[in-house]
Amino acid sequence: MADSGLGLIAHLLRRAGFGATLQELEEYQAKGYEATVEELLHPENVPEWNDDLVRRYHTDQNSVMYFESAQSYWMYKMINSKRPLEEKIALFWHGLFATAYGKLNHAKGVLNQTDTFRRNGLGSFHSILMDLSKDPAMIFWLDNKDNHKDAPNENYGRELLELFSMGIGNYTEDDVKNCARAFTGWTIANQDYMSVRASRDSIWPSGRIDWQFQYRPEDHDETEKTFLGRTGNFNGEDIIDIIAMRPATSWFIAGKLYNYFVSDTPNEAATAFLAEKYRKSSGDIRSMLRALFLSDYFKSEDVWYDRVKSPAELVVGTARLAGSFQTPRWDITNLANDANFMGQEILNPPTVEGWHTGTEWVDTGTLVERVNSAALVIGDTTQPGVQAMIQYLKDRQDTYQPDELVDACLLLAGSLQVSEGTRERLVEYAANWGEISFTPEDAAPCSEQRVVELLQLVLATREYQMA
Amino acid sequence: MTTTKTFTYSHTIGFLAATGRGFTNPVDLAINSQGILYVLNRAGPETPIRLPSKRVSMCTLDEEFLGDFGTGGTGDGQFWWPSSIAIDSEDRVYVSDEGLQRVTIFSRDGECLGKWGEKGSGDGQLEYPSSLAFDADDNLYMTDSGNHRVQKFTRDGEFIESWGQRGSASGQFDAPWGLALNGVGDVYISDWGNDRIQRYDNSGRLIEEFDALPGSDALHRPAGLTVDNEGNIYVADWGNERVKVLAPDGSLLASLRGESVDSKWAADYFDANLEEGRLRAEADLTPVVEPPGRRDREMSANVESLFWGPTAVKLDGQGHLYVADSIRHRLQIYNTNG
Repeated sequence: MADSGLGLIAHLLRRAGFGATLQELEEYQAKGYEATVEELLHPENVPEWNDDLVRRYHTDQNSVMYFESAQSYWMYKMINSKRPLEEKIALFWHGLFATAYGKLNHAKGVLNQTDTFRRNGLGSFHSILMDLSKDPAMIFWLDNKDNHKDAPNENYGRELLELFSMGIGNYTEDDVKNCARAFTGWTIANQDYMSVRASRDSIWPSGRIDWQFQYRPEDHDETEKTFLGRTGNFNGEDIIDIIAMRPATSWFIAGKLYNYFVSDTPNEAATAFLAEKYRKSSGDIRSMLRALFLSDYFKSEDVWYDRVKSPAELVVGTARLAGSFQTPRWDITNLANDANFMGQEILNPPTVEGWHTGTEWVDTGTLVERVNSAALVIGDTTQPGVQAMIQYLKDRQDTYQPDELVDACLLLAGSLQVSEGTRERLVEYAANWGEISFTPEDAAPCSEQRVVELLQLVLATREYQMA
Repeated sequence: MTTTKTFTYSHTIGFLAATGRGFTNPVDLAINSQGILYVLNRAGPETPIRLPSKRVSMCTLDEEFLGDFGTGGTGDGQFWWPSSIAIDSEDRVYVSDEGLQRVTIFSRDGECLGKWGEKGSGDGQLEYPSSLAFDADDNLYMTDSGNHRVQKFTRDGEFIESWGQRGSASGQFDAPWGLALNGVGDVYISDWGNDRIQRYDNSGRLIEEFDALPGSDALHRPAGLTVDNEGNIYVADWGNERVKVLAPDGSLLASLRGESVDSKWAADYFDANLEEGRLRAEADLTPVVEPPGRRDREMSANVESLFWGPTAVKLDGQGHLYVADSIRHRLQIYNTNG
């Protein structure tokens, strides 16, 4: 079985990242758990992924005009970034503030929104909501460009309260109306032209140009509004000030973070703990996550493998393990499609509610996709990560008994700790081969193939499919 | 030596079109003996609906569209990651492909005449062939970017010689991109990953390097380049979203940022779609923005007239500078005084 210290680091990296190779885990372990938490919480201290090669060879990903290009670009970034929590928190906010390409027809617009989450996704919730309210993709997505002084549109105001901050039951219909009035005039530049653009590409002779936020004071409702018991000539900033300070918001965000980073099963005590951290830190997400990752709520082995990996987590994590897509490959679109087929089209969530997570990721169809996709990627012995795993085994010893081989493969798959029953089945499978050997030289290819087959089976286990 | 050169924006050729009259991510162009432009459209991603956009478009400097040939795919005459286009002394058209690791040869009318090349790192084998250029004897030089070297072939693909290896020292390359020859056969290379230009004689002996532009003028990921008969170097400074012109001594003569207005083809479209034309005319296409990061790239994403992803520059000997403005689906043309 894996060493418990390494196991805890592996648990952290599965949640605050997309899993890690054995070499990465050992490097993190050498730094220590708390130092690793701190490093993850400060991505700005780690060099940003250099996307030059990807943009050079994938010309379409230099402009990300098309949806497939945007999906593929984000896949590359999640796979290659050395800032795993930065990508993981971007994916979290993307799921919560679900904005879909399908309505926007502007791939770079929705991809740019994820950049906002990277820049400030670990900052204060207040500033995150400010960024969100000025984000052109969100303004387009929830129709705030149609929210006028003389004709308010409640769509953004309603979802801001219901889905993005407090949850239903914590405000009235009048609060929704007044919230919307406060956001009148928050729109995008060149609104008329941009709106036509959403339905027709041909009027953009030089491709698309980025959307920009624009505040139009002449279209803002300057009259008095009453919102959550307070009255004033509120603008959008005032509304966010009020929302961010509400206890309901602290509980809402705490619950969402717990669900995403810890468990598919709600835990009231842990949520209360996180909600208090929200209130004490004025809604600072980094402070909340630090407290969470250092808490027993997170460290407890009871919550290891207690979340079903989302399709994006599964696909990205497996590619990272195999060392795939470190350089440009045209079939990156297929990798994005794998996640699509498993039920998660990144950048195109099904509704403003985002994806239904947990066990809803898995049905008989998607389970087959999940297993096959992981097996295909880890089964490619030309990939550097797969080669490194084989080399690790060769360097350690010449021959492996079935139980030794299983334990080594579990370790290589990210210090995976499977149930005793699963381990027994894996050993039974490996026992069909008996002892495998990497010497003499002509025995190595067959043994390497068996290692890969066993890894494919390991990636099909419940524990690998969970996080 | 003091060289005074001026560059004046002339016009734009092309607009976004998935097929037919128009371009989709034009990454390179070549001009034949009759003055016909062959524009290579890389397009992407490689999904079935986008493959027909991969093609060679033919047109003239004054924006007459003459047709196109090729499509996306892996068969003969098809393209996957088409990267460069060059024309030999008999007006045959050569296209390199970084996806298929080959060179395909077409007649001037677009008939596929043959292909050569295979993936690998041995002599004559290819790994991301990025740029092509002929010398006066119809030998074909190529930046073999994945192998970090230059290779020289006959036009039929027989290997002649190669030089270079991966690294950042003198005479080494990091994913070289552009390649051009001057009148005496010296070979200029955009050493993309090392942010410099190198000049070799035609047997591969290093003559000089240009990497010393100061401060904000420094090259960043230089792509396609060309050389005029005075030895001035024109380079698509891809990472800076600019075109730079260097004097023979490497000093900076000009830095162009792009100033495109609608081409005739685009104007035709709006003449036929008046309501859309009205909305476009009323829009502010040159907004004042302060993007939070990657400033040049994001400025190009916001301001339509600027270069965005310039990948190639060519001269026609008639005083015209052509810039393949790949992300904006157009060529920007400048008049030069030399």
